[in-house]
Amino acid sequence: MAMDAVQFLQNFLNGISIGSVYAIFALGYTLVFSILGIINFAHGAIFTFGAYLTYCMAVGQFGIGGLLAGLQVPFRFSFPLSLLCGAVLSGIAGVLVERLAFRPLRSRGGDPLLALVSSLGVALVAVNVIQYLVGSEIYSFPSDVYGDIKPAFMFHIGSKIVVVRTVQMIIFAVSMLILALLGYLISFTIVGKALRAVAENPSTASLLGINVDRFILYTFFLSGFLGGMAGSLVGTSFGIAGPYFGVTFGLKGLAVIVIGGLGSIPGAVLGGLVIGLAEAFVPADYNAYKEAVAFAFLFAVLLVRPEGLLGRSLTQKV
Amino acid sequence: MKRSALVMLLLSLSVCTASAENVAAPIPVGIAVAQTSNVALFGQEQVAGAKIAETYFNKKGINGTPIHLVFQDTGGDEAGAINAFQNLINKDKVVGIVGPTLSQQAFSADPIANRAKVPVIGPSNTAKGIPQIGEFVGRVSAPVAKVAPNALNQALKQNPKIKKVAVLYAQNDAFSSSETVTFQETVKNMKLEIATLQKFMTTDTDFTTQATSVLAANVDLAIVSGLAADGGNLVKQLRQLGYKGIIIGGNGFNTANLFPVCGKNCDGILVAQAYSPDANNPVNKMFVEEYRRLYKKDPSQFSAQAFTGAQVFVEGLQRVEASSKKKITQMDLATVRTELNKALRKGSFVTPLGEISLDHEGEINQKTFYVSQIKMDTDGKSGKFVIVK
Amino acid sequence: MADFIQNYGFLLVTLVQQSLLAMSLYYPLMAGQLSLASPGFYAFGGYIAAIMATVDCFAPWRDLLGWLMFPLEWLIAGSASAVLAFLVGLPALRLKGIYLALATIAFVEILRVISLNLEITGGAIGIFGIPQLFESRWGYIWTFGPLLLLMLFFSYRLDRSRVGRAFKAIREDELAADAMGINPTRYKVLSFVIGAVLAGVVGAMSAPFLNTWNARQGTFDASINYLAFVLIGGSRSMWGPLLGAALLASLPEILRPLKDSRLILNGLVLVFASIYLPKGIAGALGRLKRSGK
Repeated sequence: MAMDAVQFLQNFLNGISIGSVYAIFALGYTLVFSILGIINFAHGAIFTFGAYLTYCMAVGQFGIGGLLAGLQVPFRFSFPLSLLCGAVLSGIAGVLVERLAFRPLRSRGGDPLLALVSSLGVALVAVNVIQYLVGSEIYSFPSDVYGDIKPAFMFHIGSKIVVVRTVQMIIFAVSMLILALLGYLISFTIVGKALRAVAENPSTASLLGINVDRFILYTFFLSGFLGGMAGSLVGTSFGIAGPYFGVTFGLKGLAVIVIGGLGSIPGAVLGGLVIGLAEAFVPADYNAYKEAVAFAFLFAVLLVRPEGLLGRSLTQKV
Repeated sequence: MKRSALVMLLLSLSVCTASAENVAAPIPVGIAVAQTSNVALFGQEQVAGAKIAETYFNKKGINGTPIHLVFQDTGGDEAGAINAFQNLINKDKVVGIVGPTLSQQAFSADPIANRAKVPVIGPSNTAKGIPQIGEFVGRVSAPVAKVAPNALNQALKQNPKIKKVAVLYAQNDAFSSSETVTFQETVKNMKLEIATLQKFMTTDTDFTTQATSVLAANVDLAIVSGLAADGGNLVKQLRQLGYKGIIIGGNGFNTANLFPVCGKNCDGILVAQAYSPDANNPVNKMFVEEYRRLYKKDPSQFSAQAFTGAQVFVEGLQRVEASSKKKITQMDLATVRTELNKALRKGSFVTPLGEISLDHEGEINQKTFYVSQIKMDTDGKSGKFVIVK
Repeated sequence: MADFIQNYGFLLVTLVQQSLLAMSLYYPLMAGQLSLASPGFYAFGGYIAAIMATVDCFAPWRDLLGWLMFPLEWLIAGSASAVLAFLVGLPALRLKGIYLALATIAFVEILRVISLNLEITGGAIGIFGIPQLFESRWGYIWTFGPLLLLMLFFSYRLDRSRVGRAFKAIREDELAADAMGINPTRYKVLSFVIGAVLAGVVGAMSAPFLNTWNARQGTFDASINYLAFVLIGGSRSMWGPLLGAALLASLPEILRPLKDSRLILNGLVLVFASIYLPKGIAGALGRLKRSGK
């Protein structure tokens, strides 16, 4: 089916929109992998947790399910403040996850695979605690959460229009901003240098006087912070569709960070955008298979170039 | 097969001794819905509806004997449904089961109840073939969007110039997949053009592709068959991107859970309903009043259907007592289960869904369907379904 | 006793079934391959059995064979899984560690989406009304039970065989094994195929057991469950998958009285078991046995 320029542009914009959501989820996800070499399956839960926290502070009205049924939170913060607080609290949650699920395993020298199971256990607990407290209803942010701006931008090209939702553009801008800030942090600051040392070789780093445990803490805090913020932003775009809202991103997020390059932070963003674009260009007739696009890409990338688009080449240590 | 079947028969006979005991008081009725997992939202509403039924019917009980609803969580998967059913049938010794939430779970667990000769009423199972699973399986959820043509007529009344239609549906939802077929047939019969057909999943949140395709096809009417979270999001994104035409929502939109999702953007959606809170019968009026008092919003279709499931069992039990001239608690479990099942398929019931009856296969005969239009309040937070004539 | 069977029969058979699925992950793990592909082959095998049992064009076969149709379904499911595993495994097993795991996760997802969309698999609803081999759920212990015993015996022999030693050598150090003349690719694919065949056959057996089959039977969540069973049961012992499944698969049911909070407790058990039982239950029992002497 031939695509004209307008359709192409629309699909492209769609792809960037869809992809920025994946990218913003993947940024926190890949941070833990890049420093510690492990996949934190609880990231989706922290993403969800952050969204609920921000909602609690910005809107604060809960529905009929759960222990806190009918709760109306007495105070209300502005959205940017709620976003910030939600993100900070999610960062703390990230640290808790590290303490509960990862640190004990590290200190006992357990099988690294057990970290996967353990983080999964934490995710299960977190999601069900949320459900226990506030039920499974859908919560949405009010439509004026970003102030009085148009819901979408329209570009007229000849007689046709190309549209993109404002909130998607905000998510794209934020993900780029985070990318830039993270890049600066990692490459140009002392903290970043220490993180890179820990990523390279934790025992050497500790010999060099770096408090490895503390930097692992920082990593999880940052990852949780990013995850919580991502959850809140995505929540403003799509609503919070229940406690499992973030968990469904977890699986595709995995595909995103691998395609972009495990451990590469720009890779997370690139991977997200690539998958978003691929999904957007799937012809309508095959819409049904869109779900599989990310995984077909993942499989192909793993066979052809497992280090992903921006990852460093894996050399076999003999 | 012959030899192992004989062994099985002997083993199962030795196991059948459990049913020669009387029904306990209060009379246990099982509710097996998804209280956890990612379909818990629907289960939650079903629990709410069922609980109202328990309080209401226990005012009189079954000629004085109260009923007791036993809740067993099915979770979201098939094995969980089987476990819940087995707990209810064997441990809790219920006279009947209302549930499960999903059609897929029904295909898995209903045969178990059927073989145990325990009546099952599906409150939200709408896939084709459910009542045909067995003689003990029935449902109060209407399978077909009989109201599809009515909804389309309403849309044409609002805009007689409708030519091009966009049809969208959730392909992983049993009801939406069959509802859309009815909608598409009706559109074709009305000589309108389906300009684009889009699929999505109930778990989707990002509808950029579908919404932009609808806009590009320049349609006057969009028909969406999906559930609250996905359908609502789709509508919100459609409206935000500038779609100005009419939107028809299927049965899945028939819940107040839609309002927080699309807010002000929900305004004006025509919804094809198998249940309306405004339906004018005494049972529904009581049900809606009680629901509003407890939960501060109107009941959804899921809640109404769960209430109806429980009601049908209660009235069935009353009829069994009347015709057998014995108290339920003096009859043995197996007999009650079988007699109850028969009673369900006789006569009719006045429920929040209107007057309904079950045919010999357990399929529901429902007379009243509605088309409503959503009217949102100015703050975009709450709204109502207003029946259109 | 009869009451117990009636109440818990389904659960007991499910435990056996879950043990078998955990074992299907154990064989590749024996050769050091973290494969999470079992749910894909499980779903695949189940669909084959469900289709053969319900679709019209197989009706003459069903009439002819009677109950023998079921073993035929298992045979075909197993063989088809072997072929699919070979085709997928050969390229994928060049990957190591987490990358292989991810490739297998991708495979499972792709299979799931395909099955959600084909007509023959019934789309989202799936296939239902699957003919039964046994009336009661407990009856299926006669299919899963013997299979479990067979696989335990097989594991026992495998452990002591040349192939088993090759697997372990590859798990310890692939390069060294290669240098010693063990062809890693051949054995890795073999371990993968064994796991796949087992999962496929279990799937074929499970289709009538669950009465219905759909795309929800083969998901990523299931892979992590099986991984948990193996790791917590003990990944170095053939009893590990059994112990892990017995504990973790029964946990949601044991915790049923807790109603809404049972999954919270379930998650906590996963966390604590990973931390305090790093060698799994089998490992912990082994240590007890040794220290007891």
